[in-house]
Amino acid sequence: MLVVADPHPTTWAALSERKDNTYLLPICTQFECDGSRTASNRSVQWGQQVVKPIFESKNDYEVMYLLAKKLGFADLMFKNIKVENNQPLAEDLLREINRGGFSTGYSGQSPERLKAHMANQDKFDLVSLRSTKDAPPEIAGDYYGLPWPCWGTPAIRHPGTHQLYNTNLHVKEGGGTFRARFGVERVVKTKVMEDGKEVEKEQRFNLLAEGSFSVGSELKDGYPEFTYGVLKKLGWDKDLTDPERERIEKIGGNNPDNVGWAIDLSGGIIRVALEHGCIPFGNGKARAAAWNLLDPVPVHREPIYTPRPDLVAKYPTYPKAVRFRVPDIGFDVQKAAVDKGIAKQFPLVLTSGRLVEYEGGGEETRSNKWLAELQQDSFIEINPADATERGIKDGQWVWVTGAENSKARVKALVTQRVGKGVTWMPFHFGGWWQGQDQRKNYPAGTDPIVLGESVNSITTYGYDPATGMQEPKAALCQVAAA
Amino acid sequence: MARMKFLCDADRCIECNACVTACKNEHEVPWGINRRRVVTINDGQPGERSVSMACMHCTDAPCAAVCPVNCFFTTADGVVLHSKDLCIGCGYCFYACPFGAPQYPRVGNFGSRGKMDKCTFCAGGPDPANTQANFVQYGTNRLAEGKLPLCAEMCSTKSLLAGDGDIIAKIYKERVAKRGYGSGAWGWKTAYRETIAG
Repeated sequence: MLVVADPHPTTWAALSERKDNTYLLPICTQFECDGSRTASNRSVQWGQQVVKPIFESKNDYEVMYLLAKKLGFADLMFKNIKVENNQPLAEDLLREINRGGFSTGYSGQSPERLKAHMANQDKFDLVSLRSTKDAPPEIAGDYYGLPWPCWGTPAIRHPGTHQLYNTNLHVKEGGGTFRARFGVERVVKTKVMEDGKEVEKEQRFNLLAEGSFSVGSELKDGYPEFTYGVLKKLGWDKDLTDPERERIEKIGGNNPDNVGWAIDLSGGIIRVALEHGCIPFGNGKARAAAWNLLDPVPVHREPIYTPRPDLVAKYPTYPKAVRFRVPDIGFDVQKAAVDKGIAKQFPLVLTSGRLVEYEGGGEETRSNKWLAELQQDSFIEINPADATERGIKDGQWVWVTGAENSKARVKALVTQRVGKGVTWMPFHFGGWWQGQDQRKNYPAGTDPIVLGESVNSITTYGYDPATGMQEPKAALCQVAAA
Repeated sequence: MARMKFLCDADRCIECNACVTACKNEHEVPWGINRRRVVTINDGQPGERSVSMACMHCTDAPCAAVCPVNCFFTTADGVVLHSKDLCIGCGYCFYACPFGAPQYPRVGNFGSRGKMDKCTFCAGGPDPANTQANFVQYGTNRLAEGKLPLCAEMCSTKSLLAGDGDIIAKIYKERVAKRGYGSGAWGWKTAYRETIAG
C-alpha cells in the first residue's frame, strides 16, 4: 500500500500506473491550521490559521485522528485531547507533547506561554532573544520562543535555552553543561606485552566534567544524569513535594531509585535539580571519539561505486552486516563493481545538490509559476572537456545512465562549475521516469508546472550505518547525446 | 526632489534571483517577460560575478531619444516611464538601451511585437493611481504609497539598492571605505596578490 500525504502529489504519487492500494491524501499547508512550530534556532512559535483549508484538503491532525478511528484506537490515542468535528485541538496536542517531551526539553513550551510570546513580539531583544525590561510578567526573563531545552513543566517557567552548554549562565537562566550521555566512566581493555607475556590491562577514563560547571551550580564538578537515587544520595529528595514523590515511586515500582529525570512524569526531579543550579542531564565531557560507532573517528572509505577501484582494497566500505532489520550488503556490491570494471563503463562521478529556486523534492516550488520559470528543465552539469569528448553541446538533451543501469533524459549544462570527470544534478525534479513524461498520472489540476527526471533514479546502493542516511552524493554515471 | 537610482553591488550579489521573483510576483509579469534579470559572467570560473539588471532610469534616456511616438517621460523623481497606450512596439528602444531593459510580448506569428514592457521602478504608469486597469498595464505603484522597489527591499544581501541617489551613494561609499578600494580595483588580487583592507 502506498499513501502519499502531502499538499502536492509527489514523484511517487505520479510514478505508478496502478489503480489499487494507492492513496493520495491532500494535506493542508501550515497556513491552513493552528499549532506550534519549531524554528532552526530551537525557538517554538505558535502559528495561527491564516486561511481555511482549500479544496478537499484536511490538516495532519484530522487525518491522523480519522486513521486512528478507522484502526480502532482513537479513544486511547486522543484520550487527553479534545476533538470537535474530527478536529483535534492544536493546544491539546502541544500539551500532550509537553507531557511526554521531558527528555528533549520540549516540555515547558505550553500553548499559553507561546501565545504570550506571539502577543508580545516587540518585547524581545533581537540579538539576545531575551525579553526586555518593560515586558509583562507572563514573559519576563524568557527567551523568544522558549528555545529547546525549556526544562520541566510550564509551571516552573524555565526561560528556554538560547545558547546550548553555556556555563556562564545559571541553568535557570538558560545556562547549561555538556550532557553526561555515555555514563560516568569508560573502561578500555587493552592487551600489552609485559615481561615477555601478553597481559590484559584495564584503563579507566572519567567521562564526567572536571572542574567545569555552570554558574550557581551547587555541585562544583561533573555529575551524572539525575535520578531519584541520585537525589537521595545528595539529600535533595526532601525538596520533592509529596505528589511528585508519589508519582516517582509509582513509576519506579520495585526500584524507584532508577527513575530518571526523563521519565519522571511529575517533573519533580528536573525541578529540584534546577533549584540546586544543576542541569538534569548531567555534566559530562564532550567526546571526540565516538567509541560505540563503527568508526569512532571518521576514516576514509571509498564510495561503493568509486572512480578509483584501485583504492578499494585499502579503503573498503563497511563489512557485510545486518543493522537492525536492514541488511548492509555494501561490501559485496563494492567488490562486484570492482570485479566487473563498472568504473570503466561509467567513468563520470555523479553528485547531487540543490538549486536556489526549488526546495526538497520540488513539488511545491515547481508548482509556483515564478520559480518554475527560472528553472524549466532538469539538467546535468558537465565539464567542457567531458562534453567535447562526447560531442555534447550546451543545452542539448542527453541520456544519463547510472551504474545500476537506470537512465534519465535531461539537458546538458556545459560548465566549469564541475571539474573534469565530475557531473552534478539537482535533486528537485520529478514527474519523468526513464525519459517518459508522467504528467497524465497526476490528478487533474495538481501537476506541477515543471516536471523532470529525479536524480534519485540514477544514484545507487549504499547507506551510512550510523544514521541510516542513503548515499545520494557519490555515484557513477555515463552521459551520451540523446 | 530626490533622484531615484538603482545600484547593484556586484561584490554582494549571490545570484539568488529573489529580486526577479519579487518583481514578477508584485507586478504579475508574465512568463518570458523579464523586467529584471540576474546576469552571471565567468560562471563556474574564478572571478565569477553576478549582477542584477533592470531599466536603470537613465538621465537623458536613450530610449526616449529614439522613440518615434514619444511615449517616454521622466517623473519628478527621475524615474523613466512610458505610456503603453502610445507605444507601437517598434523595438527602437531595445536597440538604443545600453542595458537590454525593454521587453516585448509576442503577440502573433512572424515575430510581431506587442507593446514594450520594462521596469517602472515600482512607480506604475502615466496615471499614478493604483487601479486594476493600471495594474494590468504597468503593475503596482509602490512609490505612490511611499514604498521603494520591491526587488531591492527583498534583496537578502542588500546587494541591490534602490532609492534616493544621494542616500544610495552614501551607503555604497561606506561599504567601499570599509572593504577598501581594492574591493573594486579590478586585477589587484591577481597582479599584486592583495586586497586593500579598510
